[in-house]
Amino acid sequence: MRALCWTGVNELAVEDVPEPRLLNRQDALVKVTASSVCGSDLHLLDGYVPTMMAGDVLGHEFVGEIVEVGPDVRERRAGERVTVCSIIGCGRCHYCREGLWSLCDNTNPNPGFLETLIGHATAGIFGYSHAMGGFAGSHAEYVRVPYADVNAFPVPDGVPDSSAVFASDAVPTGWMGADLGGVGPGDVVAVWGCGGVGQMAALASLRLGADRVIAIDRFPERLAMTAALGAETLDYREVDVLDALKELTGGRGPDVCIEAVGMESHGTGAQYAYDRAKQALRLQTDRGLSLRQAVHACRKGGTVSVLGVYLGLVDKFPMGAVMNKGLTLRGAQQHGHRYIPMILDRMSRGEIDASPLLTHPMSLEDGPKGYELFKEKREGCVRAVFHP
Amino acid sequence: MAAGVAAAVRKARAARPGPATWFAVTVQAEPGELTGPDRPDALARLAETHEVRVTRAPGGRGSEIAVRAADGRTRQEVRAVKQLVETGEVLVVEGQPEGHRTMLGRAATPAFRHLTRRGPR
Ligand SMILES: NC(=O)c1ccc[n+]([C@@H]2O[C@H](COP(=O)([O-])OP(=O)(O)OC[C@H]3O[C@@H](n4cnc5c(N)ncnc54)[C@H](O)[C@@H]3O)[C@@H](O)[C@H]2O)c1
Ligand SMILES: [Zn+2]
Ligand SMILES: [Zn+2]
Repeated sequence: MRALCWTGVNELAVEDVPEPRLLNRQDALVKVTASSVCGSDLHLLDGYVPTMMAGDVLGHEFVGEIVEVGPDVRERRAGERVTVCSIIGCGRCHYCREGLWSLCDNTNPNPGFLETLIGHATAGIFGYSHAMGGFAGSHAEYVRVPYADVNAFPVPDGVPDSSAVFASDAVPTGWMGADLGGVGPGDVVAVWGCGGVGQMAALASLRLGADRVIAIDRFPERLAMTAALGAETLDYREVDVLDALKELTGGRGPDVCIEAVGMESHGTGAQYAYDRAKQALRLQTDRGLSLRQAVHACRKGGTVSVLGVYLGLVDKFPMGAVMNKGLTLRGAQQHGHRYIPMILDRMSRGEIDASPLLTHPMSLEDGPKGYELFKEKREGCVRAVFHP
Repeated sequence: MAAGVAAAVRKARAARPGPATWFAVTVQAEPGELTGPDRPDALARLAETHEVRVTRAPGGRGSEIAVRAADGRTRQEVRAVKQLVETGEVLVVEGQPEGHRTMLGRAATPAFRHLTRRGPR
């Protein structure tokens, strides 16, 4: 079959690869109908996540049809249309039972790397490096899904692939950002980054009753899309974000700051130059501009909810602000399983429509081009989605 | 003074994680399921060659299995026991689709696997 493979830093190729087969008794095979790019892939593409090997199949945000199930799969059956969570859970360990699915103890067969880097291993993720389990990704005609009963979610009939595909990653991640921040009525929420994840965090905050949502980015079309969801927007090239947020919140600062940018944060001025240089020299692994800003802006006693992916060390982290302002710092790879059924249900009732994120439907053969558009944010690309 | 330093060095040595330390995992299972005659075969085999300790974990989190002097391979076996007890199977990733591997990639794979799977020790 055909699959989109990582072949080196900023190099991708569509190759012939063997078809997947059932490797465990609780596996299912899914015929992929739509598979999306995600901001997390850019960190792989740019070479900031080690433990990628040339030949690894990318892709973790997808929807498809089950074509085969293993003998120990009880709930799912062939023929079902399913959204599969980007994070792989086992459903039985203590963390999965507590709803902390991305902390699953059992789905990362390669725990050594993360144990050394961050103390413990976290869950496996499709197409997301060997440190995250070394699972083949979904930018392919077929993908193998472990523990299918807990990782694949039937899509209600009226929900099109163009929206259901994002119930796999972008929507639950955004929802978790608001949930970890405890967003509710009366809150003012600020969101850094208006990619798929930031937009969905803004939408979730509004659905959870936030009074106001202020979204920050630099791309006019992304800002406009987020405004269409009901948020106010700031272009960080045009205003001083910290000043603007104070003014917009009566001097308090946002109650909840959701960071949806991650370790390749862009910026203006000296701090950005400093971050880029240090990251290039590998003196820091992660650029922390938007994270620092979120911590600085957050109101006293507020919560900073980190959705953007960080992997190692961030330089100049404002610990003094966290401590003295009594902030709560939250973050996680998404605990998707906790939210996906509710999200699919809201999609079927018309309360969530994620399909505007799908700006570029493409064939799998156009995968490298799709990533280029997405990476450079050209032609208004928010998410390129491949239809193998 | 010298005696104090020597004691401190001895203490530091004792505290330093070495091959004789315990490797521990927490498993969602009653201690009785892991110690009685019905305990998993793999755990029984481990106990033939290693000192194994099973205690109740706090907060309803099941049991703690600790194995003394666990090398990389043993650690992998202990994790497999946990996964088998909790989920009924041990996940396999060998045999998945992959694209063209470079010569360097193929040559480095065993060492790489060893490191990512078992850890540096
Ligand atoms: N926690 C999770 O489970 C999870 C899941 C999916 C994605 N992510 C992460 O979320 C982040 C966003 O993902 P995405 O798919 O939306 O990516 P994306 O690349 O589409 O969007 C990122 C946006 O951040 C903006 N940005 C860059 N620097 C900024 C700054 N200083 N201030 C404000 N905005 C800035 C960019 O202009 C861009 O629009 C990535 O780091 C990704 O890895 C995390
Ligand atoms: Zn993602
Ligand atoms: Zn689990």
